Amino acid sequence: MRISVSDWTRSGSPWVWLNAGAVAICIIMVLGLLALIAVRGLGHFWPADVLSASYDQSGQRSVLVGELVESEFVPAAQLRDAGVDVPAGLEHMKRDLFKVGNRDITGADFVWALDDHVTERSYPAMMFVAERREWGNLYGYLQAIKQDGELVAQHDGYAPGPEYDALWQNFQRRISRAQDLHAQIEDIQKGVIGSINYELERLRLKQRSLELKNVTDPQPYADIEDRRSELNAEYEELQVDLLELSNALNRDSFVAEVADGRSVEVQLSKVVRAFLPNSMHLGDKVLHYAAKIWEFIADDPREANTEGGIFPAIYGTVMMVLLMSVMVTPFGVIAAVYLREYARQGFTTRVLRIAVNNLAGVPSIVYGVFGLGFFVYFLGGNIDDLFFPEAKPSPTFGTGGLMWASLTLALLTVPVVIVATEEGLSRIPRAVREGSLALGATKAETLWKVVLPMASPAIMTGVILAIARAAGEVAPLMLVGVVKLAPSLPLDMNYPYLHLDQKFMHLGFHIYDVGFQSPNVEAARPLVYATALLLVVVIALLNFSAIAIRNHLREKYKALEM
Amino acid sequence: MSSNMKSHAIDISSLKRDPRALNMDDEEITLKVNDLRLRYGDKEALHGINMLIPKNRVTAFIGPSGCGKSTLLRCFNRMNDLVDGCQIDGEILLDDSNVYGRGVDVAELRRRVGMVFQKPNPFPKSIYENVAYGLRIQGLKKKRLIDDTVEWALRSAALWDEVKDRLHESALGMSGGQQQRLVIARTIAVKPEVLLLDEPASALDPISTLKIEELIHALKKDFTIVIVTHNMQQAARVSDYTAFMYMGDLIEFGVTDTLFTNPVQKQTEDYITGRYG
Repeated sequence: MRISVSDWTRSGSPWVWLNAGAVAICIIMVLGLLALIAVRGLGHFWPADVLSASYDQSGQRSVLVGELVESEFVPAAQLRDAGVDVPAGLEHMKRDLFKVGNRDITGADFVWALDDHVTERSYPAMMFVAERREWGNLYGYLQAIKQDGELVAQHDGYAPGPEYDALWQNFQRRISRAQDLHAQIEDIQKGVIGSINYELERLRLKQRSLELKNVTDPQPYADIEDRRSELNAEYEELQVDLLELSNALNRDSFVAEVADGRSVEVQLSKVVRAFLPNSMHLGDKVLHYAAKIWEFIADDPREANTEGGIFPAIYGTVMMVLLMSVMVTPFGVIAAVYLREYARQGFTTRVLRIAVNNLAGVPSIVYGVFGLGFFVYFLGGNIDDLFFPEAKPSPTFGTGGLMWASLTLALLTVPVVIVATEEGLSRIPRAVREGSLALGATKAETLWKVVLPMASPAIMTGVILAIARAAGEVAPLMLVGVVKLAPSLPLDMNYPYLHLDQKFMHLGFHIYDVGFQSPNVEAARPLVYATALLLVVVIALLNFSAIAIRNHLREKYKALEM
Repeated sequence: MSSNMKSHAIDISSLKRDPRALNMDDEEITLKVNDLRLRYGDKEALHGINMLIPKNRVTAFIGPSGCGKSTLLRCFNRMNDLVDGCQIDGEILLDDSNVYGRGVDVAELRRRVGMVFQKPNPFPKSIYENVAYGLRIQGLKKKRLIDDTVEWALRSAALWDEVKDRLHESALGMSGGQQQRLVIARTIAVKPEVLLLDEPASALDPISTLKIEELIHALKKDFTIVIVTHNMQQAARVSDYTAFMYMGDLIEFGVTDTLFTNPVQKQTEDYITGRYG
């Protein structure tokens, strides 16, 4: 049976198709986005095979060693313009990007090469990769290990066999020893010495504050001096320990033959890990992959944020969002309670509601400017004048920091919380309020003991929306306290533990910094994707925990069926 | 007279009433309403009500919908204060002091005049906390005292045996009838002098209704009870005095048995015989 177009239109099915299609497109776009950043970001950590090939560069032959990162097709005309000899009749040529590492030797650790020029490709089993703390990866053949400059073990680096295995195991043992020592040094430097420096700084400020107050009694000065010399003595001791440790750390070195046949000697202390990608089994690769992912999540960044982890950025993001939630909730709830419960409904409240809704539409960078002008310069400057004159001229709260960033975002998200809370308050049945009032409760008691608990799921909805908005916000943060590298976490073991005045790192800003401010673009690109994925995951986790809390509250204060 | 009896919808003799004759002149008066007028905006809802509510008796307000019986009830604990544009003239004396007088603490008044609403409205808290709510509001902190009062209130509301094993479960898990008895327990826990019941059984099934009615009987020795009801049989069953209201006026007020068997006013007779309402 044929159905005419007008009948079909009247039946309503085109609308169903249109709506379903729109939803499908949305879902596909979201999933596609996640898939793209997941593949690009997570693929980076997989230990790719390392290729060794002959590279013919306009008649000059050289050995090319590296990982194939990506391939693309370039128009032949463009290559001809660049002076490359391209066979006639070709429209496009394939071009490969290799990560060749050895930045300290060759100057660049990424090389573009025409696919046709790279011949005699092989994947030598003995090719090893050493991840280093500086200068990026090293690709080569392990030839010797030295201890205090003396040769300990030697090998030609090419022939597999028990001899090489022994060398390799020796190498790995020494790497883990160096890693342990390195961790100890880090502990001392960041932990104990960090605390000492922190206390010394506090003593300096204390002394300065005494001077500013014109205290003439020598006793407090003497106390400070005593404590200072104690700390300095401790510091001297630690310095001796550190020197010993770093001597021990610098004991070993190794010799490797790199792509152009040169032998280079590298300090073992610089090596984070070494592995033979071409002879790794799948299981080894998976383990390696997991270790790399863990490093990415749990470690500090290295090499201008292009290597290592992003833990401080995750920490800063979560910390900032939590502080923001703590600040925005009371603000929003109190405002909503006044608007809904106490204020006389009329023209004024209507205007106020419109104002609140408009506040939600103000561009976030405007909040950043406001935060900088009002919170940082005005409030922060005055707080410094009143409470921290001893630290001047260096600012304490008079510069961007965790507190101002959280407060700025709290301001940005407060309309959402107000609107959601008002909505929740208006849904509490009148009968329940009357029940409480009829028992002799005042309006305030009714609010605190009955109405607000029942409205708490709605309040949580507001907080969830606030988190969703605030966690992804970057622009205002750049003005009020985010930095590309923060020396310490905002929460640590030094009194007062939570450092609201400190600058902090943020995943969103980290993406911008790594992607666009990095000196090593090729190395940074996969990290941009990985960090973006992590940002999405962190926001999702924050949201899910807020949703879990809300569902719990909903269950507890299940609204009456009225 | 006998033909008149037959035309009545309610057979008072079947209700096994206390045969003792009631007389308003012998009663101790708890609430005295003097020329009470109430306006919602421009519309007057009560046109000068005068009545006496006797102590430790059940007084029922009957009348068709919109006659002002609930409005009058809500004047006794000043619940109408919450309604925008509500204006009240005249006075209500509770033990000789005007509840609408200057400087009256409304919260204190509501502790003395408790109220139970049409639909059960337990708080989304545990059964125990529901009953303890009013006590905590009064600043009571001693756990022993609260425990004892909660048990007393639940026993008085004939609910203790049903809930004693799940005092700390949510009150929202109870049946409607249980919830309404919980609300009564919650109200009597603060030991008010007067108990206002605003159609307490209208949302309940017949068995629950019966339980509530039995409860009203049991509670009247401790409290002065005022009940608003749509259900004339219920008024006849539970009350000692009945007031018939119509269009904001008190038409007739007297001993229940007399009002139902031998009404003075034509309007009352029409209403109780079911000719309108």
